[in-house]
Amino acid sequence: MTAAQRELVRRMQGRALVRAWEYRQRDHAKGAWFRLRRVLVDAARAFAISEVDADRLEAQGLRPVSIGRELSPEKRIYFGTWAQIEQLEASELEVRLSAELLQSTAIVLLAHEIAPAVAGQPEPRRVDGG
Amino acid sequence: MSFRERLLATLRGVRAVLDEPGVMVGGSQVPNLLQPGAGSTLVVSQDVDIVVPVEKHEAVRQRLSRVVGLKPSREEPSVWLPERPELIEVNFIGMDAGARAGETYVFEHDELPLLVFGNLSVLRLGAPVEVDGQLVPVPRPAGLLIEKLSTDRSGEKGDRDLLVVMGLLLVSAPFDIDELEALYRTLPPEQRYAIRSNLSILSLLGPRSEMPDPVPHRAQLARLMARLERAEPA
Repeated sequence: MTAAQRELVRRMQGRALVRAWEYRQRDHAKGAWFRLRRVLVDAARAFAISEVDADRLEAQGLRPVSIGRELSPEKRIYFGTWAQIEQLEASELEVRLSAELLQSTAIVLLAHEIAPAVAGQPEPRRVDGG
Repeated sequence: MSFRERLLATLRGVRAVLDEPGVMVGGSQVPNLLQPGAGSTLVVSQDVDIVVPVEKHEAVRQRLSRVVGLKPSREEPSVWLPERPELIEVNFIGMDAGARAGETYVFEHDELPLLVFGNLSVLRLGAPVEVDGQLVPVPRPAGLLIEKLSTDRSGEKGDRDLLVVMGLLLVSAPFDIDELEALYRTLPPEQRYAIRSNLSILSLLGPRSEMPDPVPHRAQLARLMARLERAEPA
């Protein structure tokens, strides 16, 4: 075995141990990033909203997804309908773990199932040129 | 000279090895070969993996003298370096059907040692691709999707590797996805978790030059994720 092969095998075996550890930790803090990504997988579009608008969504019966409470600071993340979103002052975000998304404390998501039906409809009101 | 021409010239150079039954091209070049006319528009790496079942090692070794235009690296004899700029590097890697996912070991041999990757054990030989008159053996997409989604990766190279999965999904038929799900059900839980984790990363990637853009296909990725979750044991 060459030194390069030995080193590669050592690294691969290390990764296997890390993977096993990550799997064991999946329901704890270590798995939070996956759970956040998993929520975003289902979202066609994402919008940052104000805390006031988040309160308004909750008054309409929406409940935040649980992963938001695991983050610090907490985020209030909802799946909403287009009718709900277009009533808000919303700033559209890219659906990815961007700085903008991570800095937003209240986010409403539009699921893939809903997004095609609203294509071409008027956009939500924008805030700060977002 | 285009990358496609270099890739195909390299595969002609190792044709004697590829003619050994069971040997196949693996890794990131497979979606390039599965494109119409082996378009090879994806640029991930400047090398090509040749998957050698460990039980075929001796047969492959006997064919090495017929490889044209490449020679083994002195430091890493499983890597064959091009002798001409119109070829690309070739990596011979080992597949052991009995290896566990995540297991890695060296198949020791003076002339052709092989790094054997357990994740490759899900590969099954598919229909060969005919390119410019040459039949190129490639794996079935389902196994390659499982293998690519199971591999730990990070950084720009890792992102581009995951975009290879997107490229593979775009050329996969519904029965390939059925096979993917069937294979997924056979995997250990930590590997299934890694696959779903990597799929979530892929879903959130932005476009990269010369790679498939996952953004227009995010709904398809979400459906695949949901399907894999439904395949999880209760």
